[in-house]
Amino acid sequence: MSEWQRLDRRTMLVGPLKTLRQILVPALAALIGVGTQQPRWLLFAAPVVLVGAVGIGVLPWVTTRFRIAGDQLVVTRGLLNKTRLTAPLDRIRSVDLEAPLLHRALGIQKVEVGTGVDDTRIELDSLSTAQAEQLRNLLLTRAAVTPDPADDADVDTEPAPRSPDLARFRGSWVRFAPFSLGRLVIALGALGGLSQFVGDVGIDFSVDQEDVQRIESALLLVVVVLLVGGLVVWTLLSMAAYAVQWWGLRLFREEGNLRLTRGLFTTASTTIEEARVRGVQLRETALLRAVGGAELHTLVTGLDEGVYAVLPPCPTSETRRVGDDVLGDPAPLRTPLTKHGARARRRCHLRGVRLLLPAVVVALVPAVFFSVTPVLPVLVTLAVLLVGIALGEAEYRHLGHALTADHLVVGSGVTSRVRTVLERGGVIGWVVSQTWFQRRRGLATLVATTAAGAERITVRDVPLDRAITFADAVVPGMLEPFLVSSPPATAPAGT
Amino acid sequence: MSRPAALLREPAHQVSPRAVQMWRVIAVAELAATVVVLVVIAVLLPSRPWWLWVAYAVVLTPLAAIAIWMPGLRNRIHRWEVTPGAVYTRSGWVVTRQRIAPLSRVQTVDTRRGAIMRLFGLSAITVTTASAAGAITIEGLDQDVARRVVAELTEITAASEGDAT
Repeated sequence: MSEWQRLDRRTMLVGPLKTLRQILVPALAALIGVGTQQPRWLLFAAPVVLVGAVGIGVLPWVTTRFRIAGDQLVVTRGLLNKTRLTAPLDRIRSVDLEAPLLHRALGIQKVEVGTGVDDTRIELDSLSTAQAEQLRNLLLTRAAVTPDPADDADVDTEPAPRSPDLARFRGSWVRFAPFSLGRLVIALGALGGLSQFVGDVGIDFSVDQEDVQRIESALLLVVVVLLVGGLVVWTLLSMAAYAVQWWGLRLFREEGNLRLTRGLFTTASTTIEEARVRGVQLRETALLRAVGGAELHTLVTGLDEGVYAVLPPCPTSETRRVGDDVLGDPAPLRTPLTKHGARARRRCHLRGVRLLLPAVVVALVPAVFFSVTPVLPVLVTLAVLLVGIALGEAEYRHLGHALTADHLVVGSGVTSRVRTVLERGGVIGWVVSQTWFQRRRGLATLVATTAAGAERITVRDVPLDRAITFADAVVPGMLEPFLVSSPPATAPAGT
Repeated sequence: MSRPAALLREPAHQVSPRAVQMWRVIAVAELAATVVVLVVIAVLLPSRPWWLWVAYAVVLTPLAAIAIWMPGLRNRIHRWEVTPGAVYTRSGWVVTRQRIAPLSRVQTVDTRRGAIMRLFGLSAITVTTASAAGAITIEGLDQDVARRVVAELTEITAASEGDAT
């Protein structure tokens, strides 16, 4: 690969086809509209459109070239504004392959090279599937080992040995799709658009007074039908979206990398250097937990996004199994968490109630300004207390921390149960913060700073001495020079 | 985990006395500016009902309290220390934060001298790590102290290897 190479010839088809697809309908309409009146116009227009489309397709192919020169990947592109991108091979963090439907039909793939240092990703759109795979292997193996200029390219063209799959998609997982609400927002947005459309159709809702009763029962029917229909539509849509995104998922190891391939129509392949994986996060949202499902994410350093989903919502046992495999230790995802104690629990309850306090204020407004009987505020206050304490209790149950041979484990979440596992070596500093209220109760919030994932892992409301002891145990030595043994009673430390 | 329960001791050094002066001057200036604005409003208003003064008290009391107590409080809480192995600071006054970053993980060392800080001959040093949550700022340092600390920090961090993640 040390000579200049071009993109695959089939790339020339993609541009025009895409452009044509976009302008097809308006163009047809225009051409037919124009054509019926002035056939000669059509004769001129058609070649212009064709030439334009072909030009759009040919240009990137003519102008884009790439090669591996020594220990650098060099890409040049542009006709008038020439750009030349170089990336040292040892800086290449990820090589992702993607093939939307059109690309798949043509047998080509987009290659995206991430260097992790900044946000620019080098995109090669597109190479033949074999060529893309070869480039990917070459880049990643070269990135991993010390580059050797004498090394012949075709040594690396052998497909890399594959481990047995860590995980493989199962059709039955689709049942979890309706229980993850991430997509619901989008679906509701679409529904909003639809209702607007229904409004535009202009159904006349004005009714005669005589059959109010019939309308009431009809309304009830409509509401029930809408609810049931909404549920059915949501279930079907979410399952379809899930299948489109995750169909054919395979997660496997390849030369020190975790590789994920998936997709029903658009196939995508993501590669994460395993040495950059610092931990995992197991998320069980309330709905998913109810049906025994969970999501698994890896915490990665040095990439634009620190948190990568490696599994879709799927059975908890499956996420545990894969998580264990990625971590190389079954303990972190199973070990019981140390609770934070009664003082932390009280703070959780308070937080739950405080979160819902605005509802009480809203309920008080009519009572104060319109002198209505204060039944409503009293009821709302009771409800807020009950729900708030229930939320707080849930949060307290999920709160906790633990330490295993190589990892620190932190539990968090209010309605969701989240367990975050980080390699001890991934901790690059500590923050012990105490609000005024926490100082009074001798509690602290411990934050482990890290380069991976969300860049911070928070242990909330731990008794101060336990927070410090825990931090000291996670990374022995880091806190050593600053420690004093604690006085017998838990003194409110700080000031 | 069999070690005895431990606590963090205070970082060794206090901020410069001039930093306390600066905090006090800023707090008093904020209080004075607010008073001026409120007086102007009171003069311009056609009528001054009783609740106006209540609102004024609500606005001014915390500002006055801050001007009186904050500088001393911060002076007691703000502390810093640089050892050959780590940077350790304590800061804040409503929420206190103790931050520790090992120097082997430090990526950049910045010095900042704002206009008001220059008036008081002060500098702030910010030490960043690969984590967005890990930046440590030492505020209220005398300029020569800051210069010495930066020199020390850059020397130690330059010696450590790896990409500090």
